[in-house]
Amino acid sequence: MQIFPENVSTYGQKIDDLFWLTLVFVMIAFVVSLFVLLYPLIKNRQSNSPKAQYVTGNKMKNFKWVLIALIALLGSDFVILYVEHDTWTEIESLPAKADVHVGITARQWNFIFTYPGPDGILGTADDVVIDEMNSSLHVPINKNVVFELRSQDVIHGFFLANTRLKQDAVPGRTIIRWFNITKEGKYDISCTQICGILHSKMRNFVLAESDDKYKHFTDSLYSANSHKTASN
Amino acid sequence: MSTKQQHLTLSENKIPEGRLGLWILIAGELVIFGGLIMSYLLHRLRYPQWSEMAAHTSTFIGALNTVVLLCSSYTVVRAHEAAQKLDVAKATRWMTCTVLGGLIFLIDKSVEYTHEIQEGFTFTSPSLQHSGDYVNSLFWSYYYIMTGLHSLHVIAGMVVMIIIMVQIKKGKNLHRVELAGMYWHMVDLIWIFLFPLLYIAK
Amino acid sequence: MEMSTHQQSFWNKYIFSTDHKVIGMQYSIMGIIMAGVGGFLAYIFRYNLAYPGQSIPLFGHLAPLQYNAFVTCHGMIMVFWVGMPILLSGLGNLLIPIMIGTDDMAFPTVNMLSFWIFFVSALVLLTSFFVPGGAFGGGWTMYPPFSAGGYLNRNPDFFKALFSGTSLMILAVALEFVAMLMGGINFVVTTINKRAKGMTAFRMPIVVWFLNIASLIFMFSVGPLVAGAFMLLLDNVVGTGFYDPNRGGDPILWEHLFWFFGHPEVYVLLLPALGVLAEILPVFARKPLFAYKPIIYLALVSAVLSVLVWAHHQFVSGIDPRMATFFSIGTILISIPFAGIFLSFMATLWGGSIRMTVPMMWAIGFIALFLIGGLTGLFLGSNTFDIYAHDTYFVVTHFHYTLFPDVFFGFFAAVYFWFPKFTGKTLNAALGKLHFWCTFFFFNGTWFLLFFNGLHGQHRRINDYSSFSLINMEPYMTFEKISTICAILLILSQFIFLYNLFTSLAKTKNPELTKNPWHSATLEWTADSPPPHGNFKVYPEVYRGPYEYSVPGEVDDCYAQNVPGPSFENNENL
Repeated sequence: MQIFPENVSTYGQKIDDLFWLTLVFVMIAFVVSLFVLLYPLIKNRQSNSPKAQYVTGNKMKNFKWVLIALIALLGSDFVILYVEHDTWTEIESLPAKADVHVGITARQWNFIFTYPGPDGILGTADDVVIDEMNSSLHVPINKNVVFELRSQDVIHGFFLANTRLKQDAVPGRTIIRWFNITKEGKYDISCTQICGILHSKMRNFVLAESDDKYKHFTDSLYSANSHKTASN
Repeated sequence: MSTKQQHLTLSENKIPEGRLGLWILIAGELVIFGGLIMSYLLHRLRYPQWSEMAAHTSTFIGALNTVVLLCSSYTVVRAHEAAQKLDVAKATRWMTCTVLGGLIFLIDKSVEYTHEIQEGFTFTSPSLQHSGDYVNSLFWSYYYIMTGLHSLHVIAGMVVMIIIMVQIKKGKNLHRVELAGMYWHMVDLIWIFLFPLLYIAK
Repeated sequence: MEMSTHQQSFWNKYIFSTDHKVIGMQYSIMGIIMAGVGGFLAYIFRYNLAYPGQSIPLFGHLAPLQYNAFVTCHGMIMVFWVGMPILLSGLGNLLIPIMIGTDDMAFPTVNMLSFWIFFVSALVLLTSFFVPGGAFGGGWTMYPPFSAGGYLNRNPDFFKALFSGTSLMILAVALEFVAMLMGGINFVVTTINKRAKGMTAFRMPIVVWFLNIASLIFMFSVGPLVAGAFMLLLDNVVGTGFYDPNRGGDPILWEHLFWFFGHPEVYVLLLPALGVLAEILPVFARKPLFAYKPIIYLALVSAVLSVLVWAHHQFVSGIDPRMATFFSIGTILISIPFAGIFLSFMATLWGGSIRMTVPMMWAIGFIALFLIGGLTGLFLGSNTFDIYAHDTYFVVTHFHYTLFPDVFFGFFAAVYFWFPKFTGKTLNAALGKLHFWCTFFFFNGTWFLLFFNGLHGQHRRINDYSSFSLINMEPYMTFEKISTICAILLILSQFIFLYNLFTSLAKTKNPELTKNPWHSATLEWTADSPPPHGNFKVYPEVYRGPYEYSVPGEVDDCYAQNVPGPSFENNENL
């Protein structure tokens, strides 16, 4: 059994590694605490020790044991914080080079994708909007895909488990995040904020393709679109 | 409860229970208004155009109301003094002045509300929305919720005063004059914050 | 005490009573009833998760909107109508006056009013299930704009909007807050002003300290949410746009106002239950509580820190990434005082003479389960891992591993411990142990496997996972079924408790046997069993701290607080 779903992004492995690192600290703390809790229950039962020791714990001689444990916990906490901080910055800030721009708009109850058109820039007249159930966001692999996340109505969540990325889509705000998928495939996008009757059905896909296939897809998409605008 | 044993159970501290309870209540009330004021301030900083909306509020009536509330706070202090000297008649007189102060405040407020509503500035400001001015309508929502909640506190304070006036006429609960006064000071204090935020900052 | 002989009518004695013990029991009973409602809702949607689309025994078919409403109301009920009344108001009313050695609360009438406002709030909540459109279904966090402005059930008609599920929910929560505020003021004033002679601040039992700290945290964090809820109600009923981004409002404002209260709220629930542990562990280890004063200082530190960590619930909601680091550090810091308190509790057991009674088992079970809940919090406090784990079952499981032991193990520990004192009757110990083992085992069965579902990306509040390929597979669907079966058994196990409760209540009173069955040192055990209205025949005088067990050189291993003698306070240096 795999613990995590397959990781397909450049930064996903760092989040998984962070989990395993934290798990090491947590397991040490768990085993030690469980020992501290259960040992006296076996050793100091009334039958074994009829008379309790009088220890108030208000002297530093006794209380130092708690302090040592607390310092160890604080230390491991800050180790985790130190290790994770670079990953946090990497995920939450923009990559040095943005290869592909797309727009993702959440709406009750679907994700709508906006492709930038031949000029590669969002917000221009040649943008193509795909508003269909299960339409799949086509992206090239091994490219930094920067997306602008919006919401038309209520707060939705954008969750792409295979890349370990999650971000709420908040109405009135444009939130920019990115991912870089390293493996071809079709991955679930799900909504993680309760948003109404079809919240359970609100999902779409990211379709990660090789450069050629992606180029083929965008070319046909844009030509069909320009054809449509021309005929209008 | 039997009073003869009461001395045995008193803690060292001698603050009367009513006063202590009211201090905690006042602290809780201030946090409620604190939350409102913080929300208002954050929006105000984001939308500088709200100062144009604030220009539509009547600084004169606002200032008048500030003076009225400050005076009524003074009269309630005198009522407390009289109550401490067990002078029921005097305490009742000063408290009546305070209630009248509250009444003047509410009349001013309703005159003000009437003007603003006539100009088209309502809780939801539909007339503003017709002109496409969505953001500014939120100023009026905040204006009405803050002053409205405050006015509700003024009314509550007046009701409490009248109840206590009836009680002290019967010669009991004279210490409650002080509690009503503390509450009234809190209402005054909140207004001192609302006045510059809604009327002066333009 | 004249009151004890005074004849009262049934109504004054049991219904509109101003006696703190009766009010405390009214709160607890109301909490148990609401726990039944919350548990039944849990049964319905857990059954639906294991067998989606199938008809549910005792209920029928569950529609998606009902599912949303039920998970929402389950959360609301368990936090505000079970946790709060049982732990804060129930324990606070029962314990504070009698443990500080006085007759009643400072404001008995306000206290009675507090319960009846709470009662009305529960009725309003239950009514909301039966209005057109059903109960509120926008998540217990009530994030707008979904909870406001017509997405759920706003109606342009003012009165229809006022009596919609959303408005009734806001109203019910507001009434509940008023009740708790009245109770909180009472607790603090009573504790400051009505302590027995010699009951200095540092001779009060920890549970009295913690109930007061919890009340203060509640009173100073709830204010902004009261204002925010008022704004949300107006958004729903009048049509203002405080949270509507199209009109300059901001949905994130609500998230801040909500979590500024919502996070301290978990400490409001946790502290009274920790206080219960602090009373039980020394009695059954026959040993003074380890580090009495440091525990109080740690709790005060955590109270201050509790209002500085709220935004760790918003790591993925689009707040400034730099702000997240600040709140991550705050989250790490607040884990320290609570770890210190738990470690001190464990240290109390070392070198003791331990009696494994029923309350002690619940106390130990509490610590063991909370250990898992607390340590999984370490994963979530890190903002980077939270990007992945947020809103998954990892979070849901984490907080059930903290709140379930907290509310239920804390409550049952208290019931088995204080039941003899407040009723004059005894509970059956064998049934108590059976109840404990069933609850402990089935709780773990319900939740432990769901950690793995969460780590595999199972997100919350979904009534049917068939659309999601990562979860609609083995073994995760089997885990769902195991969880559901254990949840049903967990609920059924509680009938052991109810049976024990009712058969014990049917027994005759035994004042001698129940006066001080555990040989405990605090003041409530010096009163009669059950204590009369007014508690004490003669007000006690206090000579020492509450946990003087096994004092060297004494024959009796329990040196009660009210027995004249040395105070043992001269040899402390912390």
